[in-house]
Amino acid sequence: MSVGYSAVQWSHHKRVYDAIAAGAAAGYIAAFLAIGKVLWHGQHAISDEILVMRALGSCAIVLLHVILCIGPLARLDARFLPVLYNRRHLGVMTFLIALSHAALAIGYYHGFGVVNPAYSLLTSSASINSFASFPFEWLGLGALLIMFLMASTSHDFWLRNLSSRTWKRLHMLVYVAYALLIGHVALGALQTNRGDLAPILMGLGLLLVCGLHLAAARREHAIDRGQNPATSNSETWLDAGPVASIPKSRARSVCAPGGERIAVFRHAGGVSAVTNTCAHQGGPLSEGRVIDGCITCPWHGWQYKPGDGCSPPPFQEKIATYQIRIVQGRAEVNTRPLPPGTPVEPARLGESDLAGAYGEGLHV
Amino acid sequence: MSDPNSSSPHDPPFDPPFYVGYLPVPAPLRRFLGIAAPLAAGLVIIAALAASVTQRDPGPARWNDGVAQQFRGHLIRWPYPILLVSDDSAKHEASMYLLVEMGKHGAERPKWSRDGVAVFASGWKLDRDGRQMIELEPASDALREDTSIPRLAVSSPVQIGTVTLKGEIVDSKCYLGAMKPGEGKTHKACATLCIKGGIPPVLVTRDASGRLDHILLCSETGEALGSEIWPFIADPVAITGELEVWHGLKRLRVSAGGIHSL
Repeated sequence: MSVGYSAVQWSHHKRVYDAIAAGAAAGYIAAFLAIGKVLWHGQHAISDEILVMRALGSCAIVLLHVILCIGPLARLDARFLPVLYNRRHLGVMTFLIALSHAALAIGYYHGFGVVNPAYSLLTSSASINSFASFPFEWLGLGALLIMFLMASTSHDFWLRNLSSRTWKRLHMLVYVAYALLIGHVALGALQTNRGDLAPILMGLGLLLVCGLHLAAARREHAIDRGQNPATSNSETWLDAGPVASIPKSRARSVCAPGGERIAVFRHAGGVSAVTNTCAHQGGPLSEGRVIDGCITCPWHGWQYKPGDGCSPPPFQEKIATYQIRIVQGRAEVNTRPLPPGTPVEPARLGESDLAGAYGEGLHV
Repeated sequence: MSDPNSSSPHDPPFDPPFYVGYLPVPAPLRRFLGIAAPLAAGLVIIAALAASVTQRDPGPARWNDGVAQQFRGHLIRWPYPILLVSDDSAKHEASMYLLVEMGKHGAERPKWSRDGVAVFASGWKLDRDGRQMIELEPASDALREDTSIPRLAVSSPVQIGTVTLKGEIVDSKCYLGAMKPGEGKTHKACATLCIKGGIPPVLVTRDASGRLDHILLCSETGEALGSEIWPFIADPVAITGELEVWHGLKRLRVSAGGIHSL
């Protein structure tokens, strides 16, 4: 959260994160080069430029797989949330490595010739008559442009000015970039280095990304189905289950008929309902906690007061709130969202409402 | 802000540690990350090793791009500039060196107006499987007439006949060692640029035992090939034409419409 902008709001965590990520990327490139030099040397040596180009390109692909796996991993196991915290730095790093790969490839393959390298890039191998001959460079260029767009708008300045929804949509293009890169590799490197291992590695990567996303989606679906029994007692009030089953300072999510997820927090002797979507990057607030009296997003720690959905001063972010009531120990949420920042009195808990709630009374 | 992970008798039975970037990392999470981070780094290194071993042998090509070498011989066009160098033995045999300029440019110096002129050449040698090339130094006197070189007795090209060969069209400079590997889909754009720039095109064939052969390509009338060859570069092709051999160098006079994609 911030009230102003700086290039990077460095913290100890971010420095450690970046050091580990940069170290892993450097280790990848060094290992790739070392193996390439050991396997093919003397007359059979691969050109240094091509070896570096391959190391950079494959490193960017591996990092992109890591980036795409972080989201679902964090949904499946909250212990991976620290990896998600600084994912944007990993994205920018991936873009820079991919850019280095592209610069080397364009300079080496398309430079030193009779035409401008940019013109050569777009025309030299252009043959769209067959799938196998399709210019794989175009796919890589498209992916690089998307990654540039994402890296250059990764700062919170753009998040605020583009609006959270637009920013999120823009950054969902990472899946388009991923698909383009799969095509780039399949129609390029895999056709040059024909063998069994490379396609298997790419297939495993694709399987991992798809499998984790499907698992996370299945879990979300199960939560929606399990925590939202179709017992809403009217068209506007939704049953959110027994209050006693919501852990202290935590939340349960319920899904409104329109698909909007609502986070029902138990805090300070009451329950409050807010949208499940963080105003920052759309993080799932119901997986957060109440810390210092504020709902805290699990992704980047953005905070909101449960009573009005406003960030504590001096911050100015606001999220939608919902009316809430307790009927016979069960929380019920009015499914109509109130404008962001609208104060709503928390539904107060009685002793009987918390019967069986891990043996506690009105503690917070 | 307070630590959200301090335990309390009122906590639920399972209370996973909660991470907030600006708060101290909870001890259980620190332990988890202490295991997960090195494990992930190890997996990344394994991925690097696995990715690197998928690379193929680029072939036994050499580009001696250190100190320039000197050569003496006779210039011919067949139809690309070639230097015939005598082996100085009594057999009067000669080696054929394709000539190219630096970068992706064929050798087209104005003074090469006639065949058979004796010259001194200075440049860097490329070779692969007995095929040789000289990349000329950029200096204007890197190729100059040298009347001290004795006339070379050369044989005539041997006509083999009409053949259809399957293989891949590459640019001879990269394939002979300027770029390794200098073939395949990823090299297609570079090969196209090289051939457009005048680097002699070569068909690389592979027999049943995997042995490679390299055949210089020219038009049916013996001229350098032009744009008709561009769409087929770096793709699997079958080419029909008249095969000739001259001092160990093979040349295919490609029949009109004689190139087909496979």
